[in-house]
Amino acid sequence: MTLKQNFSISSRKLLLTAVLLALIPFAERAYAFVNEAISLALEAATPYVEQGFEVREDNWSGEVEPGKPLLVRHQLFRGNEYWFWAGTSWPGATVKVDIFDSDGNSVGLESFSKNAYAGVRALPEKTATYFIRVLTQHDPEKAKADEVNEPVDGVGEFTGMVDWGLVYGYR
Amino acid sequence: MMKRFFHSFPFQREGVAVAVAAIAIAMVGGSLFAQEGVGAPERIDLSNFPGEIVDKVVVPIPAEIFAVLGKLDEPNWTGAISIPESTGDTTERAILALTFGSLVGEGFIAVQAKSGEEIQKIGREVLSVSESLGLANAVRPHSLAIIEAAGSRDWERVREELDSTQQTVRMTMEKLRDDELSELVSLGGWLRGTNVVTTLIREAFREDKAELLNQPGLITYFREMLGSMKGPSKSSPQIRTILTGLARMEAIITDKGGISEEDIKELSEISLSMLEEYYFVTKSPEGKTGN
Repeated sequence: MTLKQNFSISSRKLLLTAVLLALIPFAERAYAFVNEAISLALEAATPYVEQGFEVREDNWSGEVEPGKPLLVRHQLFRGNEYWFWAGTSWPGATVKVDIFDSDGNSVGLESFSKNAYAGVRALPEKTATYFIRVLTQHDPEKAKADEVNEPVDGVGEFTGMVDWGLVYGYR
Repeated sequence: MMKRFFHSFPFQREGVAVAVAAIAIAMVGGSLFAQEGVGAPERIDLSNFPGEIVDKVVVPIPAEIFAVLGKLDEPNWTGAISIPESTGDTTERAILALTFGSLVGEGFIAVQAKSGEEIQKIGREVLSVSESLGLANAVRPHSLAIIEAAGSRDWERVREELDSTQQTVRMTMEKLRDDELSELVSLGGWLRGTNVVTTLIREAFREDKAELLNQPGLITYFREMLGSMKGPSKSSPQIRTILTGLARMEAIITDKGGISEEDIKELSEISLSMLEEYYFVTKSPEGKTGN
């Protein structure tokens, strides 16, 4: 990594920190930006940004019943390389992400899944709509292990849904 | 720390590092490390998907298409920039939202052209339109960042800020329950991007470049979005013309693929006619992209 790249990355981190700090007084407005599942997906994306991937600001997120797969449609362009990164912040939850073409064939070239975040890479063979599948799971035993503090009644109890977020980058 | 290891490992070549990594893997049984290739099914049945289809559509920014076009050819990006004389004159919010999106699209063209001066002009225009939309407070920091990054020729940052600007405006509109306006911002950017891509492909047609226009899903999405608008803008002449234009595009770009030179010419003319409804001044068409 060059000095220029180092400087650029440090500057970006400083800028990001400054922006997040500036958002604190506007907690309600900042909420939309501080989506924990998205934050985790972006954390997974960080090493790839250094490899030249430009991460889009727009993204997908929501809540889902663990075990119920989600399907996101998205337009990809042949000639670009893509990474999709998914995240979940719920204690005990894990996430996986895969990608398929319009015939349902898997087109992921490599992938990883590590508890709270996952990623899949694709090099589209044609410009078309592709389908990204996000799958979360929840393990109550792991949730207990993940809890840092003693649980408080009614706070953070599993209600049958976990959060999820999906971001992507291209180069 | 884990992430740092995950990131730096491929670049470590010294034996010590490899030995440490091997011991670590043996000790923890790989449980701490990312699982590679974690059992994606070879095929899924999309017609009978056993889960939830996510409604939200993320519209690609023009820069994604420009990136491919730049790999395939050396387009004349500088000649493609065409900033309208005035953009914020109307009080029609739907038109302002479309204009805002198209201006951001113009910014992405100017980034490809590495034209700092034009980007700075676009940054100021973006702020001007956001003032007409009543969103200047949200946009001003982005506008200033665009101008500053263009001044220092930091093109990657300009692209990031253009994307952020659009996202900020869309999120602010959605918070104000102006979802329709938010979608119009995306449509404006897509239209300007499509117009310039078709214009550049026309200059030196190749099938692999024409394939970039194979976006039937997005066109249908935009047509349905305009068709389901509920506000007073739905019946405005501009929106109706754009709706017709999208239907014409939809007839050209089908799932069957294969976009011909003639198709590109037609798509270029249709996209220009839509932009002339709100972005380019129809009275004086000289020097416009696509003419």
